[in-house]
Amino acid sequence: MRLNALHLIRYGNFEDAEIVFPVPARDTPDVSVVFGPNEAGKSTAFHALLEIFFGFRAGAHPYAFRFERSDLLVGADLDLPDRGATVLRRNSKRSQSLLDTDNRPIADTILGSALHGLTRHEFEERFSLDERGLRDGGERIASAKGDLGQLLHAGVSGLTGISETLNTLSERADKFHKKHGRATELKLASDRLKKIGRELRADRLTSERERTLRQDRDQKAALFDAENTALVTAQKRRLASTAASTWFDRTEEMERLAETLKNYPSGPDLPRDAAERVAALVEKISSLEARISEADDDVAGLDQIIEGNPADTLAPALSAELERLDQMKVDGAPLMDRATTAHADLDRRTADRDALATEISAALARLSMSGTAVSDLVLDTEDLEEIAEAVEACRMASEALNTAKAVADAARAREGEPPSEPQDLTLLRVAFEAWRPVSDLTAFETEREQTLARLTKAAADLPADWTGLVDAGLPAPETLEKAAREWSDLSSDIAAAESNVEERSKELEDATADLSALQAAPEAVDVATTEETRRHRDLAWTRHRDDLSDPSADQFEAAMRADDSARGHFVAGAEIRQRRLEAQRRERTAKARFETAEARLANLIDRRESLSEVHSRLSVRLGLEAGAPPAAFGPRHQALAAAANAAADHSNAQAASDTRRHREEALRSELMEAARALDLGVDKGNMAALVQRVLTLEESVRKAWSKWKDSQKAIDKLDDDALVKKDDLKQAELEFERLTSSLPLPDRSVEGVRTALPQLWNLIRLHTDHQRLDERVEALQQAISAYSDGAERLAKILGTTDDQGGLEPIQTIDQARLRVAAATRADEQRGDAESRRDKAKAARDRHKTDLETAENELGDRFKGQGDDSLMPSDRIARLVERDRLRAKHLAADQERQQAIVGVDKDLFGEELDRMPDASRGIVLEQQVQDAQDSRDAARDAAREAERLYREAFDASDRSDLVTEQATLLEALRSGGRNAVVARLGVLAARGALRRLAEERRSDMLRDVEAAFVTMTAPKWRGVEVWSQVEGEKLVGIDADGDKVPVDKMSTGTMGQLYFALRLAGYRSFARDLGPLPMVLDDIMETFDDTRARAALQLCAEIGASGQAILFTHHAHLVEMAQTAIPGVAIVDMPA
Amino acid sequence: MRLLVTADIHLGSPIRSVALRNPDLGDRLKQASRDTFVRIIDLAISEKVDALVLAGDTFDNGYPDLRSRAFLIAQLSRAAEAGVPTVLVRGNHDALLDHRAHGELGPNIHLLHKEMPTVEIGDTAFHGLSYDAAHVGKSFLPDYPKPVPDKRNVGLMHTSLDGAPGHDPYAPCAAADLMAHGFDLWCLGHIHAPFERRDGPVLAVMPGIPQPRHFGERQGGTVTLVEMGDGAPVAERRDVSRLGFAELELDLQDSGDQQDMVASLRDGFLSAQLPNKDAAVRLRATSLRQSGAFVTELAAEVLDDVDRVFLDKVEVVPPSRSPNTETDDLVRLMRTEMAEDGFRQAALQQLDEVRTALPNEIAAELEDHALDALLEDAIAEVMLALHAERAE
Repeated sequence: MRLNALHLIRYGNFEDAEIVFPVPARDTPDVSVVFGPNEAGKSTAFHALLEIFFGFRAGAHPYAFRFERSDLLVGADLDLPDRGATVLRRNSKRSQSLLDTDNRPIADTILGSALHGLTRHEFEERFSLDERGLRDGGERIASAKGDLGQLLHAGVSGLTGISETLNTLSERADKFHKKHGRATELKLASDRLKKIGRELRADRLTSERERTLRQDRDQKAALFDAENTALVTAQKRRLASTAASTWFDRTEEMERLAETLKNYPSGPDLPRDAAERVAALVEKISSLEARISEADDDVAGLDQIIEGNPADTLAPALSAELERLDQMKVDGAPLMDRATTAHADLDRRTADRDALATEISAALARLSMSGTAVSDLVLDTEDLEEIAEAVEACRMASEALNTAKAVADAARAREGEPPSEPQDLTLLRVAFEAWRPVSDLTAFETEREQTLARLTKAAADLPADWTGLVDAGLPAPETLEKAAREWSDLSSDIAAAESNVEERSKELEDATADLSALQAAPEAVDVATTEETRRHRDLAWTRHRDDLSDPSADQFEAAMRADDSARGHFVAGAEIRQRRLEAQRRERTAKARFETAEARLANLIDRRESLSEVHSRLSVRLGLEAGAPPAAFGPRHQALAAAANAAADHSNAQAASDTRRHREEALRSELMEAARALDLGVDKGNMAALVQRVLTLEESVRKAWSKWKDSQKAIDKLDDDALVKKDDLKQAELEFERLTSSLPLPDRSVEGVRTALPQLWNLIRLHTDHQRLDERVEALQQAISAYSDGAERLAKILGTTDDQGGLEPIQTIDQARLRVAAATRADEQRGDAESRRDKAKAARDRHKTDLETAENELGDRFKGQGDDSLMPSDRIARLVERDRLRAKHLAADQERQQAIVGVDKDLFGEELDRMPDASRGIVLEQQVQDAQDSRDAARDAAREAERLYREAFDASDRSDLVTEQATLLEALRSGGRNAVVARLGVLAARGALRRLAEERRSDMLRDVEAAFVTMTAPKWRGVEVWSQVEGEKLVGIDADGDKVPVDKMSTGTMGQLYFALRLAGYRSFARDLGPLPMVLDDIMETFDDTRARAALQLCAEIGASGQAILFTHHAHLVEMAQTAIPGVAIVDMPA
Repeated sequence: MRLLVTADIHLGSPIRSVALRNPDLGDRLKQASRDTFVRIIDLAISEKVDALVLAGDTFDNGYPDLRSRAFLIAQLSRAAEAGVPTVLVRGNHDALLDHRAHGELGPNIHLLHKEMPTVEIGDTAFHGLSYDAAHVGKSFLPDYPKPVPDKRNVGLMHTSLDGAPGHDPYAPCAAADLMAHGFDLWCLGHIHAPFERRDGPVLAVMPGIPQPRHFGERQGGTVTLVEMGDGAPVAERRDVSRLGFAELELDLQDSGDQQDMVASLRDGFLSAQLPNKDAAVRLRATSLRQSGAFVTELAAEVLDDVDRVFLDKVEVVPPSRSPNTETDDLVRLMRTEMAEDGFRQAALQQLDEVRTALPNEIAAELEDHALDALLEDAIAEVMLALHAERAE
């Protein structure tokens, strides 16, 4: 495969950019140096190439910043082994992304087979190399320690880490398991598993374990029962002993108490609180006797107070009369409050009443009705208000009527004569609007003249009949561009193809010569020949055995020698045969390539002839000579097209001008007709100005007419309003008449009534006040009379009527009130003393009763207790002591009886017989303690056995251990498999590397040595292979002929060796499968000039076997490449 | 009659997955078989079924522990007290259910065996036979009782139905014979993937293992509710498991960088989440440039942010390639090397060394017959490591 051009159609920063890799001339290496500054897009170009070969990667795209990912598009012009020149495009779709030039999908297998099934990563690894890769590769192959297989593998695959990889895999396997390893994962996990297994076995509740636990539990329970029985027995004996001791002691105590009690009275036991009660009774009796004496003194004092406050017999009658007077009222107020002012009030009210009567007479006189009773003229307030409202309504209606009439007359006076009525100008306006836009023809005339000038200029250099060529139809521009491009491409292709044919011819000659030379060599004999000589020898031997003659012997000898010779040559000729086979393959390949090149050249020549005929036809169609070059097609086509466009523009401008003029004339006629129909008096001279003025004034005329019409309507409305007001006045007057018809006034007109209204209101007020004063005078007179009567009755009760006839009623009443108050105070003092005296008597009686009761109870307390010579307090103290001794005796007996409750009788008898025995308790206590200890131990053992049995069921089932066990086993399952896989991988890879060394050493080693020496001479003279126990090692031969192992070389030298290996690998791939483009990205950046030049020569070596593309941003490398590599193509990165 | 049918509970048998190295998950699932059984009892009570049916392998031979039996009795008694009787048979793992050795299970817990093959509950007769030995090579079916007239008849059997592939041939029985026996419903056990078979009005239910223990049992996780009305029985599966196993295949070849890979892994793991339970995921990634160790590390990081998904295993395989397009000398020559007798002999020795060192339970993984598959893995492993080494 060869990459002829890379099309960056929409990719990264590029749009419609192209990088062309020119086909080299014959005998020159296929090397293209692509020059561009940093950030010019070299990486972009390399990625684009990968996208074309292998499709776009999924996900976010690093170069989709100018164009959307879905719009990205790249292309390439390729030479494919089975298809020849092929132009492909690739978009970013996930499927059917490979396209031809017409954007039709193409199967990816086209590229897949050309790329020999390589993946994107493999291609990157094998067919690209940058400065870092070169440097790292050099350092990394050191770890191969010169291993030939590993070094050659690095060369063919570009993968330098096989040594580390295999070591890592081995370490991983060893980490999992290694014989006798103590800390391997497997060993640690196995130990843990064993521990878990032990714990689980110990923990698992099997039937056997359950049985063992159960039996142990039952045995421990039985032992506990026995020990418990022993303890109980010991405790019973100790209890019996204690009881016996108590019995013995209490019996002795009881006997002593009985002897003492004989000296005390023999009466019954005192009640529980007898002593306290006797003391309380003695104190109570003393206290009661003191209280009775105090009560007697209180009664005597109170009797004296009662006698000093006797009752008043007149007080009730006086009190009743005073209460009656207090309840009497005059004019809403109590009589007693008004009595003192009543005489003065009566005189003033009488004078006021007389003054009002005088005012009423005066008012009647003002109404000219002096003889009339005032009651005839006094109306209800509501009636008089109705009459006042009716008077006001008549007045308001009359005023409104006058106002309406005045307004209507004023409006009528303001209106003048009517304006003229407006006309309908619609048709006139439509005609004017249609005519006005087309009335100006200047622009059309100008355009027509300009297009005529352009046409004249465009056609100046064309043949006279150019319009005929245009009419006959011009070829499409794409056709002309395609023709020019094809012609150019074809010319280049034919030159390249001729060069290629020559090169392939030379290759074929060389290959044929090599093959002939090898076939001629005697060692080239093959197996078939040896088999044939053997057959001849066997046949000769058979004949000789049959004949046993000299001729047959000679024939046999000749056949035997021929067979021996053939076999000898065959045995010695393994390498020659291998080389012959190789030469045959090369000869076949060269022949095929030569034939392909010839066929391609012939094909291109045929295409050139057919293309010439097409070009002649195109020349005629463009008005050119028949042999005109395709380069002239474009300019002529442009000139013809420009002239044709100018002619069309002029024709269009002329037609437009004519059309516009006809249109203006027609519309002007229509406007004139419309103006005449309205009788506007227009002619051709003043038409536009007159029509425009009429149309302008149309709106103001219409508004004036409308305003006059609106005013007429308003005046009609004011007249209607005056009529309504007249009706309202009539209604008001009727209502007034109805209300005043019964009023006895001399003038009942509206004005007369309106004048009389204030007097009528005044009469109502005066009449009302007069009546009220009249009523109050009468009430005062009644009060004065009642007050005097009451005072007389009080005087009679007091008995003062005769003796004190000169007293005023008020003095009599005061005297009565004083008498009643004194009687009331005496009653209160007397009543209080009587009440207190009764209470004192009752208390004295109660104390006497209590004293008697206490004395009786004290006597009862000592009843039956014998000797009464002592004072009560001494007597009770002796009895209390007696009872205490009796109680002690009883307690001793009860304690004694209590001690034997629940005690085994037999054991009690035995122990009582031992009494008194001071050490018996200690002995028995020790026995109980011993039994207790034994019982507790048995109990604990039984409980533990029970707990173990229960716990065996209740305990969690150690599922944590089971889970850990299962998880560990799973980890070991996959770990074991991984370890074996790693070990087998390492084993197989090391064998494969040995095979690789054997297989590739003959051809690759030559290439490696040549490349290494080219770059490093004169310091290094070559390389050599050492056979060692662990395999074959590559060593370098320095200028002195010394052998230097690879891992002893300097870093720079190893980098150069790595480059040499990659070169050899590339050539090996190209030989076996055919070349692919090798992309080198500034690999010489850090080389000095000598090494850089040498490296460029190696690029030329790659170019000799295939295609080398070198990206660089160093101008000096470009110059160096031009001198170091004959025919190198220098390509600039597109902008 | 409404039944809850289950089988193959394997009480005490642990979950076998490296995913349980996660401490939280390991702690949650250390009693998975018991917890799942508690769920089953809860379901039986809440669904108010008329009977709970256990069709064998309630226990596991590998974990014989009377505590499991005590646990079983406690749970079945809980069901019985809630009005749900249990009918069960012994499977080939159920030595702990031997009534002669360990006694009866309790009231309303009916173990069916040769001496008592039938129990009637309501209008339904349950028939079953139990294993008396760990291995039974012949069909039980001829010894099953005839259907009881005027009753619905339900059979319990622990069998490798039709000699189910992948399962030991215990009490093999032809499905056609089973369906023709005259019972209305067969409640089966032994096969850990659930299924139902119907032949006219007869239904056979294999409820599957309620809690899958490893990736091979990922189809399990259910029990089956059976409604026996007037017509044919109707089955409904219910998920009761606490952990499910899932397989996730991802193609990482197109992942341009680590970020792309993380996104692919996250999307993949999210799609592998299972409703209401944890998931142990076996990841099979296709890549030429990432080693298994690297993908495992990356996956573990991604899973830190994905709930309820855990890593069971990671396998990275290179993309398949046609042998005709093999351009890699190393691969080609490794195959040549592997075809040599001497190499195979050496390889078998390597295999034997590791196998001998492995615990017996898992040694069978590395039997000699596994060599060819291991060699293919070895080629892939070397190539992945080599390309990954360069990529990294």
